[in-house]
Amino acid sequence: MAETLLEIRHLSKAFGKNVVLKDIDFSVQKGDVTSIIGASGSGKSTMLRCINLLETPTAGDIVYHGKNILDGKMNAASYRAKVGMVFQSFNLFNNMTVLENCIVGQTKVLKMGREEAGKNAMKYLEKVGMAPYINAKPRQISGGQKQRVAIARALAMEPEVLLFDEPTSALDPQMVGEVLEVIKKLAEEGMTMLIVTHEMAFARDVSSHVVYMANGVIAEEGTPQQIFAEPRNPLTKEFLNRFTKG
Amino acid sequence: MPGDFGGRIVYLLQQYGGSFLKGAGVTMVIALVGTFIGCLIGFVAGIIQTIPVEKKDSVVKRGILWIVKFILNVYVEVFRGTPMMAQAMFIYFGSAAVFNINMSMWFAAFFIVSINTGAYMAETMRGGILSIDEGQTEGAKAIGMTHVQTMLYVILPQAIRNIMPQIGNNLIINIKDTCVLSIIGIVELFYTTKGVAGAFYTYFEAFTIAMVIYFILTFTCSRILRFWEGKLDGPDSYDLATTDTLAYTSGMLKYSDKEKEE
Repeated sequence: MAETLLEIRHLSKAFGKNVVLKDIDFSVQKGDVTSIIGASGSGKSTMLRCINLLETPTAGDIVYHGKNILDGKMNAASYRAKVGMVFQSFNLFNNMTVLENCIVGQTKVLKMGREEAGKNAMKYLEKVGMAPYINAKPRQISGGQKQRVAIARALAMEPEVLLFDEPTSALDPQMVGEVLEVIKKLAEEGMTMLIVTHEMAFARDVSSHVVYMANGVIAEEGTPQQIFAEPRNPLTKEFLNRFTKG
Repeated sequence: MPGDFGGRIVYLLQQYGGSFLKGAGVTMVIALVGTFIGCLIGFVAGIIQTIPVEKKDSVVKRGILWIVKFILNVYVEVFRGTPMMAQAMFIYFGSAAVFNINMSMWFAAFFIVSINTGAYMAETMRGGILSIDEGQTEGAKAIGMTHVQTMLYVILPQAIRNIMPQIGNNLIINIKDTCVLSIIGIVELFYTTKGVAGAFYTYFEAFTIAMVIYFILTFTCSRILRFWEGKLDGPDSYDLATTDTLAYTSGMLKYSDKEKEE
């Protein structure tokens, strides 16, 4: 059995009276590629944002390497440095070039030397195929390119787990392909990833684990074969039907 | 004294050209220093105003923040809400009469312009920071930056770029508004012009010269700031760091071949 990286226990989140997540329980093993699927508004993104502490959960525990990060002792910034995140809207730093985007976290957060950070950044920019664009500013490149840079920026921090919040939802079909290929490549290399996605074929082919969420709870989870071929929960069946019919 | 308008202007310039230049110099020094220090005050005040208060923060931290923000609000409202000319009189003469502080005229001049600019810039800076997309903050947090780092490396550079036109506005307003400092005896361009005008009773001519000088100063500054803005934006194009011409288009990842084999 692989090492458990992340354990979510009884996680709940409410915005005022609006309960978005109810008693979420699941764990991530090292090397797992977990796809989180479900309708918009089912709480997928909120859960991911809770894991990265961009939202503060109302109740429950997030246990990382056996340590509860919600007990107030752990520094949020140093935890986030180990848990990478890729956003739907890229969120590249607009005031920096592609290369600087991938360097700044290493030099300022990890306190690495600039030269080493630069080399490291180039390694990951090459991996996502963006090495030729190091001098470009985010406003000068396309959406798919931005997302690839965002992936390189997250990788440059050498995180233990990478969270993707609908990484392709803001992209046109051609760009979706180039970004998914990068993620697929990472999966093959054994990167631990949590991916919120609407790309069902991708979730089926790439992930080792699929979580289906509905109305703020995990309705069903299992291997992609099981979820996609023989869903047990009627909600899952109905949700997947809409995709296969389309 | 020549009889025609043009001749009188030339005459005044010959007689008092040096005084006009000196007056213009004083105006510029006060405007530049005042704007610079004012911007610093405004940046700090604006940054403090935008520090987020979270529920989990301790009572002490929240209390201190509340007090500091309250004081800053009072400062901004008072100095924005009263005329600079009245402030000049109030501070320069009041400090001597009430607190027995003998401010030098120059110190008073810099102080008044700076503190005034600061009050406006505090709000401008706050607006500049709020104008930056929330995603930038999230992106920075996601790679583990602290609030201070996020501000310093990500938000402020963008916010300051966005408020550059407003900084230019303030500089130009300051160049013109230093003339109110003549009331406490600063011999800047307006004071000089009044003196020159009074000497020969040539108000129209003297102020024509003053207007032209003011315009040259403000116009030059606004052009320089525009140029600087362009510099901050960086070049419109970028060089590809490769000689591989296949890399020149988007979608250059060639994994699609591999997929076909599968």
